[in-house]
Parts: sequence; structure tokens; C-alpha cells
Amino acid sequence: MTALNSILKGRQSQPHLLIEVLHDVQDLYGYLPEEAMSAVAQELGVPLMEVYRVACFYKAFSLKPRGKHVFTVCTGTACHVRGAKLLIDQVKGQLNIEPGETTEDGLVTIENVNCVGACALGPVVIQNGAYCHHMTPGKLRKAIDKSRGKKKKEERAHA
Amino acid sequence: MQQYVTLKIDDARVQAIKGASVLDAAMASGICIPHLCYVPVLKDSGACRLCIVEVVNDGRTKITASCTLNAEDGMVIRSNTERIRKLRKNIAELLVAQAPNSRAVQDIAVRCGVKEVRYPFRNDNCIQCGRCVRYCTEYSKANALGFVGRGKNRHVEFALGFRRDFCKKCGFCTEYCPMSVTPCGGSMKSGEGRLCGNCESQTATADKFTGVCVRCELGRGFGCVRQTYV
Repeated sequence: MTALNSILKGRQSQPHLLIEVLHDVQDLYGYLPEEAMSAVAQELGVPLMEVYRVACFYKAFSLKPRGKHVFTVCTGTACHVRGAKLLIDQVKGQLNIEPGETTEDGLVTIENVNCVGACALGPVVIQNGAYCHHMTPGKLRKAIDKSRGKKKKEERAHA
Repeated sequence: MQQYVTLKIDDARVQAIKGASVLDAAMASGICIPHLCYVPVLKDSGACRLCIVEVVNDGRTKITASCTLNAEDGMVIRSNTERIRKLRKNIAELLVAQAPNSRAVQDIAVRCGVKEVRYPFRNDNCIQCGRCVRYCTEYSKANALGFVGRGKNRHVEFALGFRRDFCKKCGFCTEYCPMSVTPCGGSMKSGEGRLCGNCESQTATADKFTGVCVRCELGRGFGCVRQTYV
């Protein structure tokens, strides 16, 4: 809770800072826990309903815990035309999860967003904040394998 | 001192308090513009779009919701033209298709001239008029209800998904909800295209004798202003 307090420090009773604070909370936990949202609502003087509404509205905020590696597939118009659907199908087949879900081992989360503003580079996939341009299903498969494979090696090293 | 503005609604000169909406002005003078999401004590949101009117400006007409339109001096409003009636009927039809199990929506649809519904039923049981949400935030100041999600996933929900301690349990969200009164003919099924028969007969009488109010029973939260003039 101390980390949360440091985020809220100096921002009390300033409702206009809501989104900024939520971004920081999201960076801290990887998602928005209920207790954190209640604390934010109380400290900023915003109704909890408003916090929840904002958190649900923006795709940047997640209400569920996310995996260690987050792959965000852009499904905007330009990316869609260039085959973003194939990327989604690839993910579904490989990880057996729907967009917005996390694998059971808590390693990989797949999300889809409507546009990331890099249409000239489409299809775009954001891997943990890094933009990967001109994605193909093959490239995406390798990237996901790599992110999961690393963990396997670590496990082997520990064993 | 209160300032007044003079505007023309349906060729009638109407005086309104400065800052009042066109819908307020019309109803205060006994001109009934159909409305659904409008609640006198709450802020107007223009959600249902039933109260659309034509605003004549330099010979050109613009269609807009009258509940969110401020009355200004010299305004010319037409609330009952052929074009408006057609659009309003279509809007009412879409509302019925969205939520067929509501007496209030059916009553208003019948009054707007809907005979059958051409759209597939969605059975959402919510037309997102925001009456409950606005009452909760503005009047009872509980902030327990709100709109969550966006686009077609927008819906009314409690904060974090369940009823919180700060809900005052006043029950006015259901009182004001147009879905709380079921139609007298029972709920509507897809493809039946039947509207509440009782209301239809009432409209027929109102058509015969001009000036007779339909007196649709829209639930307690729906006190029609027109009834006071009958």
C-alpha cells in the first residue's frame, strides 16, 4: 500500500488527475485492483462509480490481473485490412485463449485494441510496450514461443 | 428579476424563462412534445431523441432534441411537421424493438403513430434513457449507478459490479425506470408486431375528439405534464 500512497501523494482532492493516477496504478500492479480503485476514489474525491466507469471505458486499463507478457494486437481499419484477423486466429489456435484473456500459467495475455495510431506500419502488435511492425502470424508465433520458452528454461535452471 | 424570452412554437407565441429548454417552454404552454428520458427535476441528457423538433433558421430547418435546446428570443420551432412525425415514429419504433416489454415505451410509440414494428427485437429491457443513473447521481447523490462500457456494450451497472454500501436503497431508480410497468397486453414477442391494445383504443378516441389527452398510465415516475391541463 505504500507504493499506492506514493502515487496518491500530493494529488489528493484533485478529481481531474483521475486518469493520470489510474495509469500509475496500472503500471504499478499491471491491472487495477478493487482496493486500489476504492482508495483512489476516496483520495481524489471522485465517486467510485466514476472511477469504475473510466476504468471500463479505456482499453488501456485492465480490471483483471494480466500476464507477464502482454501482446496487444491492433485491429484498427488499416491493420484489419492487412490481416490482423489472421494474427488473432494465430493466437487463438496457439494459446487456446480469446483476446482479453490470460493463459493459465499467467505468462501471456492477448488483448486487442481498435487503433494504436501506427497505421502505416500495420499490422501492428505491441509486445510489452514495444511496437512490432509488419507482423505476420509466423513472426507472432515465434515471439509468443520466445516469451513462453524463456520461462521454461528458467524453470529448468531452477529444477 | 426573471428574464423572459419569446419564441414561436408551432406558430404560437410562447414566453419562456431565460435558460429554460424548448421542451420546458412548450409543455408550460400546453404544447405536448413526446418525451421519455426527460425528468423535470433532473438535467436533460437528450438520450431518447423522442422530443426532436425542427428549428427554423434563415429559412433552413435543423432537427434537434428540444430538451437540450435552450429557448432563445425569436426562435421558430416546429414540433409537429410531417418530417418530424416520420422521424419520431421511426425513433419510437427503434425504442420498442430495443425493449418490447415496457408499457411506457409502447404507449409513447402508439402515440407517435407506430402500428407495427419493422425491426428485429433485441429484448435488452433497457433503452439507456439514463433516468435511473441521473436520479442516482444528481438527486439522491448516491452515485451507486452508472453507465459502464461503450458502444454496443454500454449498460447500466453498479460500481464494481455489485450493490455498494453507499446505495441509499431509495428505490427511485426502479420508480423512474420506463421498464418497470409491463404492457397491459403482456410482453411482446418477436414477429408479433402488436402494441398494447388498450392504448391504441385510447388514441383512437383522442383522434376523434381533438384536445382529449390519451392519459397513458406511464407509472408514477412518468407524471405526464399534459394531464394537469385536462
